[in-house]
Parts: sequence; C-alpha cells; structure tokens
Amino acid sequence: MSLALENVTFTYAGTSAGVFDINLYIDDGELLAVIGSSGSGKTTLLKLIAGFEVARQGRIQLDGEDITRRPVRERQLGVVFQSYALFPHMAAWQNVAYPLKIRSINPSERRRLACEALERVGLKGFEERLPQTLSGGQQQRVALARALVFQPKALLLDEPLSALDAGLRSDMRDEIRRLQREFSIATVHITHDQEEALSMADRVAVMEAGRLVQIATPLELYDRPATRSVANFVGEANLWEGVVVSADSVELPFGRLQTGLHNYANGTRVTVLVRPENIAVGHTAEDANRFTGRIVRDRFLGAVRRYDLAIENSVILGQTGTRGPIDAVSIRPEHVRLLPA
Amino acid sequence: MAVVTGIYLIYLFIPIILLFVGSFGETWTNTLLPTGITDAWYLELWEDGSFRRAFMVSLKVVAATCTFGTLLAVPLAYALYRSASRGVMLAARIVFLLPIAAPPLVLAFGFILIFSTDALPWLGSIWLLIAGHVVLTLPYLLQTLVADMRHLRLEELELAAESLGATFRERFLDVVVPLLRHSLGSGLIMVAALSIGEFQLSNLISGFLYRPYPVVLLQAFYGSTGFACAATVILLGLALLAAAGGALAARSASKYRKNAP
Repeated sequence: MSLALENVTFTYAGTSAGVFDINLYIDDGELLAVIGSSGSGKTTLLKLIAGFEVARQGRIQLDGEDITRRPVRERQLGVVFQSYALFPHMAAWQNVAYPLKIRSINPSERRRLACEALERVGLKGFEERLPQTLSGGQQQRVALARALVFQPKALLLDEPLSALDAGLRSDMRDEIRRLQREFSIATVHITHDQEEALSMADRVAVMEAGRLVQIATPLELYDRPATRSVANFVGEANLWEGVVVSADSVELPFGRLQTGLHNYANGTRVTVLVRPENIAVGHTAEDANRFTGRIVRDRFLGAVRRYDLAIENSVILGQTGTRGPIDAVSIRPEHVRLLPA
Repeated sequence: MAVVTGIYLIYLFIPIILLFVGSFGETWTNTLLPTGITDAWYLELWEDGSFRRAFMVSLKVVAATCTFGTLLAVPLAYALYRSASRGVMLAARIVFLLPIAAPPLVLAFGFILIFSTDALPWLGSIWLLIAGHVVLTLPYLLQTLVADMRHLRLEELELAAESLGATFRERFLDVVVPLLRHSLGSGLIMVAALSIGEFQLSNLISGFLYRPYPVVLLQAFYGSTGFACAATVILLGLALLAAAGGALAARSASKYRKNAP
C-alpha cells in the first residue's frame, strides 16, 4: 500500500519549528529513508504520519484514504521506536502478541502467530524472555516483529539502529531490509546516519530546516546533490566557491578547473563539488586538472586513507588506498559537479 | 561510617527490644529491666473486648484506606503525569505538600467543624475515619506513583500501545497499571504503615464504636507497664501485618494483568 503526503505543514505551538510544505510519495514495498541533521524536522514528519501530531495544513493519504486526522490507533501503521518501547512487563512473545490481542485474535492463535513472527526475525527460543534480558539487537528484532505481526499498511522506523553498536548496526540494516522486502511494505525510515540511509533505502529524502530539499535514489543523491548543503551532508565532499568562465571550466581560488559540459552561463557564481575518492593521486601531462601541494593532515581509516593536500590558499580533501607519499593530484573533468552557489 | 550506623541501629532497636522484654515482665518499676516472666499481659489484652474491637477496626481502616487510596491515586497520578498544564502541576505540588502544610491536627479540627453539623452528621463513623486516613496518606502514594511514571517513560510506551491499536482503556489496564505494580506496592506499604500508626486525627474524629488501635492503646499507659508494653508490641505486629498485606495486595493486583495478552 502506498503512502502520500501532500503539502503537509505543521508547527509546534508557540514556536516556528516544524515541517513545511512536505510532498512525498512512498510506493508499496518501497523503503524511503529520511535524513537530516538534528532539528531538521525528520522526527516530526514521522510523528505526523504516525498520528502523534496532526498536520495543520495538507493531507496524508494511506492507500488512497485520507488519514490526516485519523486517530493513531486506527491508522494501522507499524511503528518501531528509537528506544524500541517494548513493554517491560511482558515476555517477548507477549509483546509481539499484543496487537493481535487488541484485534481480538483468540489466545492460542495469537501465541502461535507471535512465535512465528519471532522465528521470522531469528528469535526462536527467546519467546519467554523479558525485554530487559535481551540484547539491544534482540530487542530491536522483537520491536520489528511486533510492528509487523498485525500486517500493517506501512512501517515507520524512528532511528531504529541508533542505540546499537557499529557491528550490530550493520547486521541489523540487512535484517531490516530483508524483512521489509519479505513483507513488501511501504516503509519510512528516519535516520541521521547518511551511510545507513544510502545503504538501505530505495530513495532518500533530505530534510533541512523543516523542508524537503531533495528526494532521490542513493546513487543520484550522492552523485548529483541538489544543493551545497545536501552535498555536504551526504558523504565527504570538496566544496569550493567558483565562477563559470566557459562551457567547460570554472575559476577557483587556486586555479582553473576543467569540468564536463554544463548549463551555467559565464560569470555565474557556483559551488564546485568533487568527492574525495575522485581525487586521483599523482598526475601525468595529459591530465586536465593537475595540482601539487603538501599533505597537512593524514588519516588512516583501515581500507582507505583520507588526506588534506594544501595547495596555494586552499585544501583538497582526497581519499585513496595508496600508502606512499602524496604531493600531486589530478581531477578528471567528469568528476567535477557544479551546484548553485 | 559503620560505627555511626551501628549506633543508629541500636538507638532504633533498643526501645523495640525493651517493649518486647517489658511485655513478658511481671513487674517493672524503677529498675533497668523488669523482674519475673509472665504471659499474663497478652492474655489480659486478648480478654479485653475494647482492644480486640480496636484491633479489627484498625485492620478494616487500613484495608479500606489502601483500597480507596489505590482507586484514587492511580488515575490521579496518571492525570498529573500526563498533564502539561502549569495549573495542574501547581495543584499537584500543593497536594504533595499537603501533609506538611495541613498536619493531621488541623485536618481533624476541620472534620469536626464540618461533620458534626446536622447536615453532615458523620463524625464518629468508620467511613469518616477512613476518609481522613485516605486524605492523609494520598499525597505519599501519589508522589511515589508519579515519580515511577516519570522513571518508566510511560508516555512512549503508551504511544507504542496506541500505534498497535490499543484504546485508552486497554493502554491503561494493559500497560500503565501493570507497570506501576512495584511503586504501588511500595506506596501501599507506606500507606498501611502510616494508617496503622495514625493517632492525631483518629483520636479526634473516631467515635466510641470505631476507635482504632492507637487510640485505645493510649489507655493502656494509664495501667501497668507490662500491659502497655504488650499492647504496643501488638501495634508493632499490626503495622508489620498491614505493610505485608499492602505489598501482597499490590502484587496480586498486578498478577491480574501479568498473564496478558
């Protein structure tokens, strides 16, 4: 079932904080990640969809039905909370069976369904355990099973991995994605972790100051960010102020840079984006954009090495697998992106 | 630290031990310890109808105070916890401070003024005594419950239940009440202990037929020391019994929902 938000606006009473003019469409079986810095409005967006807050303007449609003002309990949405919000006095199976109890499923059937759901999330044998005796990852799985057991129309995930350690987080990303695909359910995943969003989502929506600034596939978002702030938020980036001087070059504070063909008029102020992994170490006479300098910061990150190469009055952030000394780099014109200033 | 704790414990337990010793002593006049051993004081106490009646009255008052206290405090604490209104929070603070602002004696005089009129002639009834005990103990129970609600982050658990389809009633009975069982238990122990030992208010508003044990106990001190000690030991036992009863009541109430769903 699909989920659609049309011109949704909401502000918290007595403040100017909220979300403004949100338009979103999440298709059946699609996972949309919503990312943004703290206070960007992503959690408010989830609250509006879940019904914990009511939109002042616009409407929210679930499978074509207007649910903007429908009470939370009638929305049929599975919600996984950041803290999981498992009932501490109920065993794992009782937590999962709770929505079935509410729906008046008979006791033996609800136990069977709950145990089945726990088995699907890999928790067979943990049915009688109280939440506080389970690990963070196991609690997360119980929360997922509980949110999915009653076959909700859509799934809402509120930073579900933020409380887990790095290793477990990676496993749970795959697990959530597997379950989401298995249930083929429209899912909104709120996160501040851009890596999590890029690795899990079909599409990613970026929020800034209560507004959606870009919705795109992870690849498109990374390669063609709409604004400087999106480029800065999603992944590492070299962002320089520049002026267009021709159809295939820009003038930067440290020299001229050859670009691919673009549509900006000469004299336009632009932001130039080059991803660190597109900075090639060393250069040959044929390279269009060649720079020499000295490393002022060098970070070894295991598989890769990230360095700052000082050139004239600027710094180039590069990323490489090379471990030797670096004093020259080159940038291929097709790796140079121009964004509005 | 250990020495100070030790001294404090001795200071705390010596009167209790002396009461116990005194209750089995034949005579105790101007000596450090009583002379002779007897169980006569307990037998005399058992045969005294007024003490037996007072004992039963106290048990009834404690049971009723715990019951009505629970029925009032749980929804009231919940309302206080959920309310974002400054006015309600101020009212809550006043209620919490009530036992300090209006001591039992003040409350008792108010009760006498109001309930000795022809319109409300309930002074001396057991129900008024229970009402008085509820008013006195409610703030303590409320404070315990509200603090626990904050600690449990009930709001998020309720949102979770609501998103799963639960109505207000289902959320309250399936999530709120069972989660409060521990604080309710400890709160009721406090209520029972306060109610059983309450003297000031009870002494002024209880009628001849419904005098609780502490009020009757006062009479014992006009008689022999052994009898007074035995009567006090019984009060101590009664307080322990009431506290245990309060804890058991809270535990059994929680069991009602423990097997859910």
